[in-house]
Amino acid sequence: MMELLQFSLCFLAFNCFALAKFNHFRDVFKKKLTEKQRYRFLTIGWITILLSLGLSVMSEGGYGALLFCGYMALSVLMLMILYSFTVSWVKHISAINVSVLVLSGLSVMIF
Amino acid sequence: MKENFFRSMTWLHTWVGLLVCWLLFLIFFAGTLSFFKDEISFWAKPEIHQIRHQDHRVASQAKQINDVFADLQQKAPNSLSWRINMPDSRNPVLSYGYAEPKQPGQRRAPFNYTHIDPNTLEPVPEPRDTKGGGFFYRLHFDLHYIDVFTARILVCLASMFMLVALVTGVVIHKRIFKDMFSFRRNKGSRSWLDAHNVSSVLALPFHIMITYTGIITLIFMLFPYPAETVYEEGLSQMFNEALPVNKRAAPTDEHRPMVAINQVLDQIYTKYPNADISHVFVRNANTASSQIVVYLATAKEVVDNGPRYLFNGVTGQIDAQSGEDWSASAQFYDSMTALHSGRLAEPLLRWLYFLCGVAGCAMIATGCMMWAKRLRERMKPEQSAHRGLKLVETLNLATLMGLPFATCAFFIANRLLPIELAARADKEVLAFFLAWLFIAVLALFGRTQSHWRLAAWLNAVACFSIPLINAFTTEGNWISYLLTQQWALFGIDSAFICAGLMFIVQSRKIPSHDNVKEKGNLFKNRQLKEQQG
Repeated sequence: MMELLQFSLCFLAFNCFALAKFNHFRDVFKKKLTEKQRYRFLTIGWITILLSLGLSVMSEGGYGALLFCGYMALSVLMLMILYSFTVSWVKHISAINVSVLVLSGLSVMIF
Repeated sequence: MKENFFRSMTWLHTWVGLLVCWLLFLIFFAGTLSFFKDEISFWAKPEIHQIRHQDHRVASQAKQINDVFADLQQKAPNSLSWRINMPDSRNPVLSYGYAEPKQPGQRRAPFNYTHIDPNTLEPVPEPRDTKGGGFFYRLHFDLHYIDVFTARILVCLASMFMLVALVTGVVIHKRIFKDMFSFRRNKGSRSWLDAHNVSSVLALPFHIMITYTGIITLIFMLFPYPAETVYEEGLSQMFNEALPVNKRAAPTDEHRPMVAINQVLDQIYTKYPNADISHVFVRNANTASSQIVVYLATAKEVVDNGPRYLFNGVTGQIDAQSGEDWSASAQFYDSMTALHSGRLAEPLLRWLYFLCGVAGCAMIATGCMMWAKRLRERMKPEQSAHRGLKLVETLNLATLMGLPFATCAFFIANRLLPIELAARADKEVLAFFLAWLFIAVLALFGRTQSHWRLAAWLNAVACFSIPLINAFTTEGNWISYLLTQQWALFGIDSAFICAGLMFIVQSRKIPSHDNVKEKGNLFKNRQLKEQQG
């Protein structure tokens, strides 16, 4: 479950980085990205990516850093496919991503 | 100045990439498959597919080693070497064997192995003669049909070119973060550039790590001079000093009984109560110079070699140990090797390594294609291609489509060649190279879209045929592997099915002559309408 939490955080981070770009935001929400929104996406992105890296390294050490590199590659690949081929799915996938993140986080905290 | 620098970097990136891209594709392709070396070897031996992984593997090791020692004492008490390979999470079989006397002309003593099911301790049928995943592992850095030293030098040089290409690629990619998630379809060479950028950027830390650590693993071949200057006997003396457990005692004829193996294991379990033993080797069994080496698994630590202990085979005392008191440089070298080989990886990380390896192959393949595509786009319709362009296009088709086809041929040969065939393992390798040659000959006849489509169809058929041939020639199949949770076998069959689907998509995406003509006519009609309107 810890791995799922680390990956969800990494995916959320890159999703925020993608949404912080004017063209991707316009494709998903059909409106213009404001400077304030862009700043928020970037802040959330940096916080979650650092959390993902921190959790990976804290729980697995050097092995976790390797896992984190893999999570980044998988996240970017999935987001590239989403934004280039099925942009209408981005909202749904983002909702699933946040749900998985909350559930895996709760599961790690409880167990 | 800035523009000149940018242009120089672009020039360097293009040429260092283009000069070695086909060799790099082979290295990356074979390396990516090698992450599943043990799983491929397991798939290649259907005789051991019915053996299940033990539930309490580590707890059973002491008894298994005792039983194997008793058997080896009976079978080969005077052998120069015994080897016991314990089952692990990737290989369920316990294999042990002894060296037979070397015949004149033989470089190494032949080993007589016995394979047993660790659950029942009953022998299993002798697996078929195959190189399995070991073939791709060796192909990755030893290539084939050429001298090992030359091959490794070539691989080193290609890796250095790759590192230069990576660094210059980062420098010239101005929109590295802006275009991170962008792939523009159906835009000619722009789409190829996007595919090249995305496959490079998504696994950039992996590409840099794997290339750099690859050079480090072969550093003593590229740069042996410091060790040769400091040590009288050169590299071998340096390695013996760094790893004293590897130091072999000279054989002697003086017969001395060996210590009870339990006495050795007790010392290991005192230090590591949950020790996971991976190998036990014995040198000069039952003589005054006998040695016992115990290797422990690395677990999730970023080290390639777990702790090793060298025991005196007669007294049972520890003569040397490694892994605990290494110098910083030895630890660094070992960690770099571990990062490169990925032997430390558990299934999740192994698949992530594989994904990044595939991204690396895609990066190299798109780079190869882009050079030729751009030149073709710049050419006038009446202009004919020059020799260099034809050569690049031939090599592109031969390598990018030939290697996957050759891999399929290797797997098919593993199932279809008669079991009793002499030098069977070599025949599988021959099938690999013959299949590659076939695609290369096809590429010599033409490099048009039709040839690419034909090669894609051949690859698709070959990929789909592997799970089918496997189902007809063994007791298992894709569905049964899923139901019995044999994930290694299921994963390999699934990978071929996925690859087959991708080749079908590829063949459908390559425009046929008719499509091109139709598109051309549509374009002309539109122009005519515009003129009339």
